[in-house]
Amino acid sequence: MKNEEINDVLEKAGRALPDPSPATLQRVADSIKLSLHPVRPLPPEWAMTAGLVLICAAVSLAGAARAGFFGFEKMDVLERLLIFPALVILVWVAAVEFIHEMIPGSRRRVSPGALLGLGSSVLLALFALLFRDYRADHFISAGIACLLTGFLYAIPAALLGWLLLRRGFAVNPISAGLVAGVLGGLAGVGMLELHCPNFQAAHVLVWHTAVVPLSGAAGALVAWTLRFRARSDARKRTNPE
Amino acid sequence: MGPRACLSAKNDLRKHAGTGNDCKKVFEPMCPDSNIEILMARYQQGDFDAATDLIGRISPQLHRFFLAQSASRADADDLLQETWLRIHKVRHTFRPGEPALPWFYAIARYVRVDHYRKSVRTTARERKLEAMSKEPAAVPEEFAHRGGLETLLAPLPESQREVIEMLKVAGMSLEEVARATSSTVGSVKQKAHRAYAKLRETMKATGFGKGQSGGLS
Repeated sequence: MKNEEINDVLEKAGRALPDPSPATLQRVADSIKLSLHPVRPLPPEWAMTAGLVLICAAVSLAGAARAGFFGFEKMDVLERLLIFPALVILVWVAAVEFIHEMIPGSRRRVSPGALLGLGSSVLLALFALLFRDYRADHFISAGIACLLTGFLYAIPAALLGWLLLRRGFAVNPISAGLVAGVLGGLAGVGMLELHCPNFQAAHVLVWHTAVVPLSGAAGALVAWTLRFRARSDARKRTNPE
Repeated sequence: MGPRACLSAKNDLRKHAGTGNDCKKVFEPMCPDSNIEILMARYQQGDFDAATDLIGRISPQLHRFFLAQSASRADADDLLQETWLRIHKVRHTFRPGEPALPWFYAIARYVRVDHYRKSVRTTARERKLEAMSKEPAAVPEEFAHRGGLETLLAPLPESQREVIEMLKVAGMSLEEVARATSSTVGSVKQKAHRAYAKLRETMKATGFGKGQSGGLS
């Protein structure tokens, strides 16, 4: 059977489906009539993207200003020129995807999982290329401190980003939570790169990069929990017993 | 919609979108009858006539979308109403200059998934659908005799079913389907290809092509 024949069959079957009754359409129209008033569309995409990038930059800089720019001071010019522009590009890509998650019917260039993979891979490649000190002093204790610090700064970045896009509507809240987490995580990594003077390859590769997947997972978990609670509340309202 | 009203709507959207290029891109296909992007812009401005016109134009497509996803007619009516309430609530998220159909379908998909997850009654239906998706060989007899879109698409997993419905029944482009399903064009092409392979296999097994008219009414 040729594709054209299958097309014909499907189109014919589609045409045979009944339309909604005029009464249903009238009910729909009546239900929106009372609350119909002009609404302000969302701002242009470039403005929202710039807003998200600025939020991430502000959180990273504020964190480093509070804790000290020791990492930035210790870096050579090449490290600075490679790490920070790469972070800005990754933040920009994550910001665009976050905006697309919050607007139904937007074009997707990368899936949330691919974004997480891309962010982590680029950071791993860069760190592996730049940091050649293969000692691992205080690997766990120093690493966990950095991971928690990065995560601590990922939270305000993700929350402020969500606040900026709060008028949007996520058709897949878990994906949106994941992308918001990745965006926040990149801000956390930015803060660590500005602050952390520990340039041991293992430390940077494992603990700095881990901020991104950890924040992404936390974002997805928060979104899942909120959705679960919203559904439980809705169920209780429908069926109080 | 007359030419004057259309021009006024164009000017409205131009003000809204800010650029003439977007406007040209949006309006070319359907003026002077107006298109759904213009109607959406007017709906955002609180125009009830535009809202009613949109309801009349989009509802049959959304209704077919729900019916093709194995909803009963009563369920499809409920889902349609729920979808419009949601559309109304988030109508500010539509961006002038962007295609409106994927926006509508993305919200309809959300409502459908949410509805089936929430409802205890429909959980059983979901399980049944999952079972049907996993057992393509179990339906050929019904497939050949009953026809109908739901039966035709029953052997397909849900993700392929919705892609085929949007492409072949709603007549959307690959790009529009990708936007509506929050995926990439490549992924939509792959799903459509797999769905066609499965449909061809099932139709061949049931001899559907030979006696096509018997299968569809």
